[in-house]
This record gives sequence, structure tokens and C-alpha cells, in this order.
Amino acid sequence: MADDVKLTIDGKEVTATPGTNVLQASMDAGLYIPYLCYYPGMKAFGACRMCVVEFEEGGPPGQQASCTIPVADGMVVNTKSEDTTELRKGIMDLLISEHPHGCLNCHRIDLCGPADICLRHVSVNDRCVTCPKNERCELKDTVRYMEMDLDTTLTYNNRHIPLKVKDPMWEMDMNLCIVCARCVRVCDEVRGDGALAFTDRSGRSLIGTSNGTSLLESGCEFCGACIDVCPTGALVERDHKWDKAVKKITSICTHCPVGCQMTLEVDKRNRLIRAIPDRHAAANQGQACFKGKFGLEFVNSKDRLRKSLIKTDGELAETTAIAALDHAAERLSQYKGDQFALLASPRGTNEDNYIAQKFARTVMGTNNVDVWSNTRPELMPPLEEMLEAQAATNPIWDLEGAKCFLVVSSNVTEEQNVVAVPIKKAVRNGASLIVIDPRETELTRYATRWLRPVPGSETALIGGMLRVIVDESLGDHDFLGDRCEDTKLLRDSLWQFDLLKVSALTSIPQAEIQEAARLLAASNPCAFIYALETLEPEQRDSCVRAIINLALITGNVGRPSTGLYPLQNGANIQGSRDIGCVPDLLPGYRAVYDDDARAQLETAWGNSLPSTPGLSVREIAPAIQDGRVKALLLVGDSPGFTSHELGDLVEAAKNLEFLVVLGTFPGELTDLADVVIPTTTFAEKDGTYTNLERRVQRLRPALGPKGDEDTEWRIISQIAKRLDAKGFDHQDSSTVFNEITEAFGSYGGITFDRLESGGLQWPCLATDMEDTPILFAEEGNDYRAKLVKMELVDTSSHNDAEYPYLLAKGRVLHQSDRPMEISVLGKRNQIQRDEIVEIHADDAATIGVKAGEWVEVVSERERQRAVVSLSSPHPGLIATTALFGNLASELDASKEPDPMATVEGLPLVPVRVEKMDAEAAD
Amino acid sequence: MPDYSELKTQADEQWKQLVAGDRPWIRVGTGLCGQASGALDVLDAISVESERLEVDITLDEVGCLGMCYAEPLVDVQLPGGSRLFFKNVSPDDVPSIIENYAGKGELRALEPFGYLGDTPIAGVTDIMTLPMMQLQERIALRNAGNIAPDDIYQYIANDGYAGINKALFGMKPEDVIKDMIDSGLRGRGGAGFPTGVKWSFMVRSPGPPKYILCNCEEGDPGAYNDKGILEGDPHTLLEGMLLAGYATGATKGFVFIRHGHDGPIDRTQRAIEQAYEMGLLGEKILGSDFSFDIEISLTGDSYVAGEETALMDSIEGKRAMPRFKPPFPAAFGVWGKPSTVNNVKSLSYAPQIISRGGAWFKSIGAEKCTGTAIICLNGNVKYPGMYEVPMGMEMGRVIDEIGGGVPDGKEFKLLQLGGPLGHILGPDILPVGLDFDAMKGVGAMLGSGGVIISNEDTCAVDLARVLVAFCQYESCGKCFPCRLGMTNLLEFVERIASYNGRPGDLEMIDRVGSTMAAGSLCFHGQLGVNPIKSAIQNFPEDFRVHLEEGRCPTGSCDRPVLVPRNTRAYAEDFQPGMVPLTVG
Repeated sequence: MADDVKLTIDGKEVTATPGTNVLQASMDAGLYIPYLCYYPGMKAFGACRMCVVEFEEGGPPGQQASCTIPVADGMVVNTKSEDTTELRKGIMDLLISEHPHGCLNCHRIDLCGPADICLRHVSVNDRCVTCPKNERCELKDTVRYMEMDLDTTLTYNNRHIPLKVKDPMWEMDMNLCIVCARCVRVCDEVRGDGALAFTDRSGRSLIGTSNGTSLLESGCEFCGACIDVCPTGALVERDHKWDKAVKKITSICTHCPVGCQMTLEVDKRNRLIRAIPDRHAAANQGQACFKGKFGLEFVNSKDRLRKSLIKTDGELAETTAIAALDHAAERLSQYKGDQFALLASPRGTNEDNYIAQKFARTVMGTNNVDVWSNTRPELMPPLEEMLEAQAATNPIWDLEGAKCFLVVSSNVTEEQNVVAVPIKKAVRNGASLIVIDPRETELTRYATRWLRPVPGSETALIGGMLRVIVDESLGDHDFLGDRCEDTKLLRDSLWQFDLLKVSALTSIPQAEIQEAARLLAASNPCAFIYALETLEPEQRDSCVRAIINLALITGNVGRPSTGLYPLQNGANIQGSRDIGCVPDLLPGYRAVYDDDARAQLETAWGNSLPSTPGLSVREIAPAIQDGRVKALLLVGDSPGFTSHELGDLVEAAKNLEFLVVLGTFPGELTDLADVVIPTTTFAEKDGTYTNLERRVQRLRPALGPKGDEDTEWRIISQIAKRLDAKGFDHQDSSTVFNEITEAFGSYGGITFDRLESGGLQWPCLATDMEDTPILFAEEGNDYRAKLVKMELVDTSSHNDAEYPYLLAKGRVLHQSDRPMEISVLGKRNQIQRDEIVEIHADDAATIGVKAGEWVEVVSERERQRAVVSLSSPHPGLIATTALFGNLASELDASKEPDPMATVEGLPLVPVRVEKMDAEAAD
Repeated sequence: MPDYSELKTQADEQWKQLVAGDRPWIRVGTGLCGQASGALDVLDAISVESERLEVDITLDEVGCLGMCYAEPLVDVQLPGGSRLFFKNVSPDDVPSIIENYAGKGELRALEPFGYLGDTPIAGVTDIMTLPMMQLQERIALRNAGNIAPDDIYQYIANDGYAGINKALFGMKPEDVIKDMIDSGLRGRGGAGFPTGVKWSFMVRSPGPPKYILCNCEEGDPGAYNDKGILEGDPHTLLEGMLLAGYATGATKGFVFIRHGHDGPIDRTQRAIEQAYEMGLLGEKILGSDFSFDIEISLTGDSYVAGEETALMDSIEGKRAMPRFKPPFPAAFGVWGKPSTVNNVKSLSYAPQIISRGGAWFKSIGAEKCTGTAIICLNGNVKYPGMYEVPMGMEMGRVIDEIGGGVPDGKEFKLLQLGGPLGHILGPDILPVGLDFDAMKGVGAMLGSGGVIISNEDTCAVDLARVLVAFCQYESCGKCFPCRLGMTNLLEFVERIASYNGRPGDLEMIDRVGSTMAAGSLCFHGQLGVNPIKSAIQNFPEDFRVHLEEGRCPTGSCDRPVLVPRNTRAYAEDFQPGMVPLTVG
């Protein structure tokens, strides 16, 4: 680029972009300068002073910390002058006089290998084996680089501070801290949480938790970012703290559709010991969340299914893989057609789920195939109909640049955590955030406007906002004229959304609707995020359309930092839909009743395809109950099949004539199965996931198999071959993927080779073409977006005599206005506090309770005690807000093999409120 | 909105009533020095006694006149006559003062030590003939001790707010900056950077908002001139900030003070309130197009908060830790907006400079270092106090003539100058003038005006230990060289002071000191080695005796160590005195 800055570092010509600091420019050019407090991607701090350099020309005089000096043309930098080296050594002398350094000056150092254990030579507190980061320590690497003699006469001081081990998931050893504050800064600057802080000052400075002694009360989201940036062993994951990696593999996390790229570390016993989010990954940019950072242990579980099982005489018994496959194939051959259904796992790779749907369609002759996390399919189709494709329009980190967000009924912080990181960052930098949600979630704490409509009236509310924008002519008329059609259709339908009516329906005051609409229209660019978790299925379609209308009318599509982000659940839900593992769509989003599409695939696959849409995941349980489905092939890792959206599949499965489970863990459903075949987890798989931003990313096997477990596509192919099917002879996942690229043109240019250097966002039509970060971009796109008309419907009709109220359960990281205590129960810290239930004054009068009194909130499944507060926004809605710290404690203590998969979302629950008498309350 | 001439007429009227009315006007110095010596009791006694004796007086609290040694100082303005000064007044003296000088009694039990005014009083010295007054040139302190800080009219009567009035209606902002540059005024916070030039940097920065930050985080032990101005004459600071705001295009000012300094804080707060009432702050000041707001921002106990970038973090509500520079405050200041940080003294000169012209100010003091220095004399000196003298005056003259020299027949031994990050200096400093450059030439720094004088009973090691302990305790803990270096320096000097020094300690002090000087982020670490290094340089004998003979030449090191002992992060139950379990 013409604007690039040219400078000389240690005699080498270096080019850098303006604004880069000298340290980063130097590292980018492959020249190392020692540093400890700087961390790529974060703002310079200038504390450790290890990165000092001298400027021979073009820079300030003296020794300057290179992380704090921006590059300038003509700079001549010397990073290795005698003064500089001396100064670095002087600082390092001071530093290691406070840091245990047996690992550096023990006389056995040359005899000692990375994982050796020595009990003799260094005094007790100071051995290299008492540091969990031995040989992973940046401080040690730096000292070694500097070739120091370690002959300082400074007195060594050990701090003797007890370790902090009472919080969930992490441990803190302040004897190893060098106070570089990377953890404090990443928590504040990148994550926006500020859960960690400096304590005290001068020589007593250390790192502590904000607001007290425990992370539980400090607003921590247990993302582990502090651990990832810690240069020493001061902050570490508790699990596998002492284990040493022998292998590191880059792969993709399996917990949500963000698709965080992680480096998986494996020890010599073939266990996954750590996951470190990849700093260079486009999807997560070095960030992860509590699930990805601390929730991958399930792959090592002793409870894993390792052998195939066949049910004989009502008992499951171990058998060989071949016998199980033979048996499954034989029985399945009797259930061809619509009496068969296949439920695939959202953790399946594109290859797994492609083969699964191909099997269901070509071999079993049914469209009864779905992914079990596909519980909100309504979020997607309007995107194709009105815009271009059934996917998010923009990359996740585009959100960082947005000036406004509309978040509709999405618990982003827990369900798709890393999506919330750029949102929180942008809001802290001045962006506005409008949250529409009856629940209090983490993002509502950041919201400029938090609108709590009557549950189900979200569409009406957004319609009201559209009405304000049209009435006040706040829309983007150029965009509507150039890029959209059917504007009139929408405009003419908005007459129904009279603000008085909307206000009555939503119970949001007219002025607030107007202000939110004006704020949104005045802020550009604006991004729209929706999960619609609290909406009933039949309410979602119209709500999605309303949101897309709103994005279009304000011109917020097709440019950076704008766009629509539908948030589904399941790591590969996007990919599974892309490759047609859904009942109504063939690969590439072509309808099953589309004759041309079917004909094309029938030629390619050499088999005929059924043309009627199959049963979706929500319909399968009832279909089993009433006998329409008799055989089921289920792929899953102990999924939460009992959630109300799916119906009770466990109960239904008892009616099945034949159940094959391909799974990783035994559970209620494997107990009911006739054949159980062990499958691999994500950590053992080779293949691809497609994340919510359409990025196809590569999974690589970190662990080898320990038993008969295999990847799903191989197992299903084996069954298919036993049923004499053709087209199931793939050698490896890359050949499956190649077949996918033929079936879905948007994947056409993606190959495993190209994925080696990072993910690609479809559409990527040919191998010589670039991928597409932003859909509906202006360049060369003459396609016109369609606005659709809207209808004002009163959908808020919760009517249940036994449970008359809707409980909106919220969860936030921190509530500073509510008193709490931390006490140690067992080995760990626990939050103790009185929960509050928000009830509307009218409802409280009906129930006969006053503010401050204890009540019990009763649902079908649980009872909860809480103190009444009369702050609910409208009658019929009651709300509670839990602390994330409680959830973290529960997850930490959970004995489930995969606790992170059991985290329940925050659905609206029908409840009743019972008065408690004073004695019972005590 | 009143215009300035109306205000001035009103103020003059009131002033006339005070000095030449029908009753005496008694002023009591209730600055920090006055309060410490019991001025509040005296004040109470005066109001009680005047009532009891039925003497009609006007009673005002004023700031410190500078003669702290004379506190509690009572100043009686005889109607239409001179002012009589009584020093070291106790409540018991009050009836006599009231009876004799305010009332009509004949008893002359207590002698005034001086008078001020045109009417000589037989047998009483004109205080302007005392060397400590005669040698002074009071500009920033012109009103301190003379007017009641609570009464904006008294300030206006003494030409207060004339400068801003002149600037608003007769000068362009660039004229104000030109006058400031012409005056040669150099920043009095210690660095000596030309104030006018500093202001001119911010003119070019985009705004609004732009901020004027007044730094009164005066943490140097033995320096109280900033607080002295705020206590004695807060309006002069407000006017200075208004001028800075007008010149640079800023619209908001913060006065940054350590919490707990209630006198200066309360008086400044009242001054701000009065200025708002009079239309001298807020929207459209004095009817012009210029608007300016001032608020007080309090900081926690942190010396480093006085570092300009740490000060900005503190105003933002963060932990006060210095940022790296560049970017400089004029480009990226508080909340990322252009800001100018000035010391109280620098700003307090501005009203007079604008009223009387830059050339007038330049004519005072030394050639490259114009104007006056406000020196706080402390320690073994006969007349400790706060004196404003022309720049360039020799240090020895200040000590001997103004301060009255070292008392009790003891010998002058050393002088501590430049605050805790400054130097411990021997007699070589006495002929050097009060001048940023001259001081730098001899390896010292003038700092913000605190001077501590010690006689032969003081041990240089002991003094160095106290200063190093202060600097260690006040390190913010951000940058490694300062956090770890100060801690190690303190451990070295404590070891030497307790006669446990080891051979090589002095070399290690030098090595750690060089690391800190070259590597630290802000001045705190860069200068932190100064006290110990200069002490070793100027008083090598004191150190030799400690190290080699295991005794203190003056015996002052024998007393127990009073400095905070908890210098490192240790476990709560770990005693730092314990022998570490492990030796690396």
C-alpha cells in the first residue's frame, strides 16, 4: 500500500501500516524483541519496559518502550544496543528476584527435560515442577533469550501467598505473578467485564478480583481470557493444571455456532488437556467462553462409549463393530420409507450430516431427517426470501464497528458468547444498544434502551418502530430506491401499527417506542441480532420478517458493521442446514419438492429421492407416539431431548420398534436402543464445521480412538453399503467434502487445502475466487431485496388457570446493587443471597403480597423462594434474575460428563405464585 | 447579568467599609499552618470576647500571609489606619487585643510585632522593613492573608477578575497566549516548561470538549504553596483557569485535589459557587460569548496521581497510573479529549500577567526564568514559612535573610530540594540562584518550591531512608523498574541505616538506580533514585561510617524505623523480617 510506513529495524527494512507500534511491526517482520506486558491485539500498556529499543533516527531519544511508539517513516531502530541489553537485564534481575526461578538456575538445568521430575535439587517452594506453566512460561523463555548469567546479588523474596483455589474452574497463584496486568486489561479492554483488578500499589501491587475475594461476585464470565494471556503460571485452568502437552492441534470448538478456533493440547496419555483460543482465528480472534475453555473435558470421560452394543433379551451387550453394523442394516432394511426417521447431531461435521441426509433420502427413501438442535428453523427462511441466503449477512467481528445494535430475545452471552464480545466492546466505545427481551440478560445491562414487551408482542413492537421510521421519514430512501423492492407493500401495511394500539399490545409506552426507533434510525451502521428464544414457534416467522424489514428500511444491509445475525443453537447447525440435513431442504437450500433440484441430485446420487417434506425435529416425537415413525436412527451426545420444544423424546422412544443410537455416552436413549454404535467426538474428527457467519472451518483430529468409535459418516456409510447403496465409498472426509461442493455451489471453491490457512465464508464459488464476508454487498450485486407486508396480530394470550403467569428468568454476570455474600461450601466458594422476584403491582394485589414479602414461584418442574419487588413492567409477567456465578459453580460441581451441554437456556416458564407465611419464610 | 464595572463599584464600596469604616476589621490566618497552631481557638475567642466586651468588629478568616512561624497570626485593621500584626497569639491574648486595639481600653499587655500601612505606629516595626517581607515580590500570593477567600467582592476590590475582563473584551485568545509567552512564565509544577507555549499546543487541537486541568495534587512533603494559594486566594486560580480556557478554547476545568485537604477544598468550592452566582463562571461569562465551567475532582491518597497522565486517569475514575507519552495531553487527554494540565501556581500568575502585561512579569526574576518563586521553607530554619521571592535569588540568601538562618547556634548541614524525588544537597547549593536552569546546572532541581533545611544533627542516610521510603510507598506499581527498583532501593538503604550494609550495596544502588532512571515509565521511577544517589554523592562520609564503622555519625539512625515496613506483597501471616525459606 502507498500509505505504508518504511522503517529499519536492526538493519532490516520493514514495512508497517501506520498506527502500528514498533514492537508489533518488528514482530510482524519476524524480528523478536522481548516483551512481557504487551499482548498482540491489545492496547500497549508500557509497564514491563522489556521491549526497550533505541532510535538512531526518527524517534525520541533514550531508551523507549517500543510498544508505545508508533512507527514513522525513516525510523532507524536498534533493538540490541549495549545500553538496551543492559537495561533489559537490569529489569529482569529485579523481576526474577521476586519470581521463583529454580527452573532457570538449578544446576541440573542442562540435564533436565521438559517433563522430567526432580525432587532433590531446588528448595521446596521453588522447583520447576511446582510451576504449572513450566516450559510454557514466557518469562522463562525471555530470560533464556536474553542469555542472562543470573548472578545478581539482589535478595530473592518468595511471597508465600496461599493459592486461590476456591473459585470454579481456575486457580490463581500470586507467587508467580509478575503484575504485567495482561489479565486485568484483557478482562476490561477485550471482554468488557472488569472482573480482575490491581490490588494495592508499589511493591505490594498484585492482581485480585473486583469487589472482593471471589470471581463469583466480580462479574466474571469464566471465559478464561485471563488465563490465555497470562505469561507465567499465575493463572491456570484447574483441570489438567500439571499436565504437559505433547501435541497441539488446531481445531474448532463444538459448543456453539460461533465456531471458535482453538489449539487443542494433548498429553502423552492421549487426553485433551487444554484448549487455547486461537489469536489469529477470524471467527473468535483469540476469545472463547466458559463452555469452550472449560467444557471440553467430556472427550476424556471414562464413561465414553467405546464398544458397540446390541440388545438381546432386553439387555444391551457388547459386540463387535461389524456385528452391530450388520444387525442395524438388517433391521433398518425393514423400515424404509416414512416410517423411518433420522436425527443428526449439530456436533456432526458437514461430512457426517451430509452422509446422514443422503442415507435417509437415498437409502431409506424419506425426508424425515433433521438436526436435533434445529428447534428454531423459522429464523432462517425469510433471509433467503427477502435478501439472499439463509445465513448471517456479516462476519461476527464486524459488530465491533457498529454504532447501534438491535438485539431481540437473545441470551448472547451464554448461548453464543463470543458474539457478545464485539457488541460489548462497541457499546463501551459509544455505540447504542437496544435490547428487546422480557428477560434480564447480560446485554440488558449494557443497553441504551431495554424494552420489555409483553411476551409474544415483539413483532408488534418492531412494527411500531417501523411505523415511526416511516411516519417521520427516517428511513434510508436511497437504499430503498436502489437496492429494494416492494417498499410500498410494507408501507401500506403499516397503517395497522397505530402506536396507541402497539403500545397497548406491548405495554411499552409510545414515547419509548418512538425514541428507540429514532435512535436506531439515527445510528449508522446498525446490526440486528435475533435468537427469538422467548417467542413461540408460530410467532417467530413474522418477527424475523419485521426485523429484516427494519434492517432494510434503515439501509443497514450489505455494508460492513451492518446486517442480520440469526442466532441458532448447535455448533454446526448452519452447516447442517447448508448441506440439507433438514426435512424440507436438499443440499444448497433447494426445496425437496423442487423437481429440477431433485432430478439433478438423483443423477448425481444415482437414486430416486422422496418429494414430500419430512418430519422436523419438533414433529418426530409425536409421530413416534402415534406410530407413524417406527424406526429411528439417532446421532447424539446425551442431548437434552426433554426440552419442551422437542416434546419428550425419551418417552416417545419407548414406542419405537427399532432404535439405533450413534453416540458418545450412554444415557436414557442408549438404554432404549436396539443397537448402539460408539462415535467420535469433535476432538477425534477430521472434517468441517460451518459457523453462524457462513465460515467453513476445519476440524482436525487431536485424539486417537481408544475403542471401536468411529465418525458418523463412516458408520452410516457402512450401514448404507450393507443395504447395497451406491455412493457411500468415500475414502476420507475430504472426498465427502468434495461431493458436498458439487451439491452446493456456494461451497464450490472451498477445498481442504484452502482451509489450511483459515476458514472461508461461503459463497465461494470457485477455487480461484475469494470468499464472501458480507452478503448483499453493493459491488456488482443487482439483486434487489424485498420488503414484506406486516400484520398486527394480538398473540399475547397466555392462558393457563394453574400457572397464570409467565416467568422470565434472567441471568447476568453481576448485580452491584444487590447484597450478596460469598461463603465456602465444601471446597468451593458459593454465592449466598436472597433472590428477588419482580411482580407487577396489580398481580401482587391479586395474589395478596406486598413488596419485601417472601413468595414461592412454582412451575411444573421447580419451586423457587424469592422476595417480592413490585418492578415487573406489566401484569402477567414476573421475572427473576440469577447470577452467572451460581451457574458457574453448578457447572464446576456437575458430575455430568458434558456439563456445558446441559446448560439450560432461559425460556419463559408458566408459573403460579404462592404466598408464604412468615414462619415458613424463616 | 452584571457587567464588570458594576461588580467592581460594589466591591470597592464594600472594601472601603472594611478598611476605613467605623469599626476595626480583624483577620485571622486559618490556613493549614494557622489551624495547626491553634488559630481556630483564637478565632472563637475573638468572636466570644468581642461580644462580651461589646466591641463591634468585623471578623474574617483569611489564608496564610506566608509567615507560618508567626501563627496564629492576628491582623487588626484599625479603621482608616494601619494594620497591626500579632504573632503566636493564644486565646488568652485575645481580650487584651480586643480591649486595646479594637476597643478603647488603655491596657497594652501584648505588643504587636509589626504594622502595615501608611500611618506609622510608634514603637512598632513596619513589617515591610523585615527582611522576609522586604525581599518578597508577591504576585501569586498578593492577596493571601489580605483578603477573605470566602468573599468574592474582596478579591474583585483588589483588581480581581480584571484580567479576564480585559481578555474577554479587549484581547483575542492568541493575544492572551502571546502575553503568556512574552512573560516567560515557566510551569511551576517542577518541569519548568513555558506555560504559554503549553497553552498554544492545545489551541490547534480539535474541540469542544477541551479541558483545563489544574493540578493541586501537591504531595511533596514540605510543599504547601499550592494549597496556600487555594486557602488564601482561590479566586486568583479560578481567574487563571478562565484565562487558560479562553486562550485555548477549552470550556471546562477541573481542580484536582487530594481528598481530605478540607480547607483548600472547601474554600475553592465556595469560590466556585460565588463565581457562578456572579456570572464569572458558567454560560456567557460577564456577558461575553465565552462559557466555562469548573469543578473540583478529588483523588485518593496517591502521590503519583499528581503526574499529569495519572491525574487524567484519576479524573476519569480509574486507578491513578501514568500513561505513556506520546500521545501528550494536548492531543489525547482526559477521556481522550485535548487537555492542558497546569500547576496551581502557574495558573495563579496568569491574572496579573494579563492585567499588567507579559513584559512586566518578564522584568521580574532571572533572565531565562522570569517572575517569582514561591518557596516553602521548612526544617531547621528560624522563620519557616511560604515566601514569594524573585527568581534568581540565591538559595543562601533565602535561607539566611528570609528564613533567619539555622537557629540555636547549629551549623547548616544539608538541604533537601525538589520534593521527595529531588536531591539531598550540601552547602554547594547555597550560592546557586532559584532558577530552573542554574539548579539543573549543578545537578539539582528546583521542583515546586519545597525546601527542607537540616542542621548538623541530621544524618544523610536517615533522611535518604525516609525519602526513599516515601517514594517506594507512593510508586503506583505499574512499571516494573519503579515497582521493583524502589522496593530494592528501600531495602538497601534500610540495611545501611541499620548498620547491616554489605560491601557492594552502594554499587547495587547505582545499578538499580540506573535501571530505574533509564527504564521507568514516568518521572516517579526515573527520578526515584535521586535522593539516595545525591546523598551518597554529597555525603559519602555518612555512608562510609554506617557501612564501615557500623554506627551513625549523628545517632539519628538509631531510632526505630518509622517507615511502613510492608513493602512487598507478602502473605498476610508472613513476616517480612523472617528469613526467606528459600534462596534462589
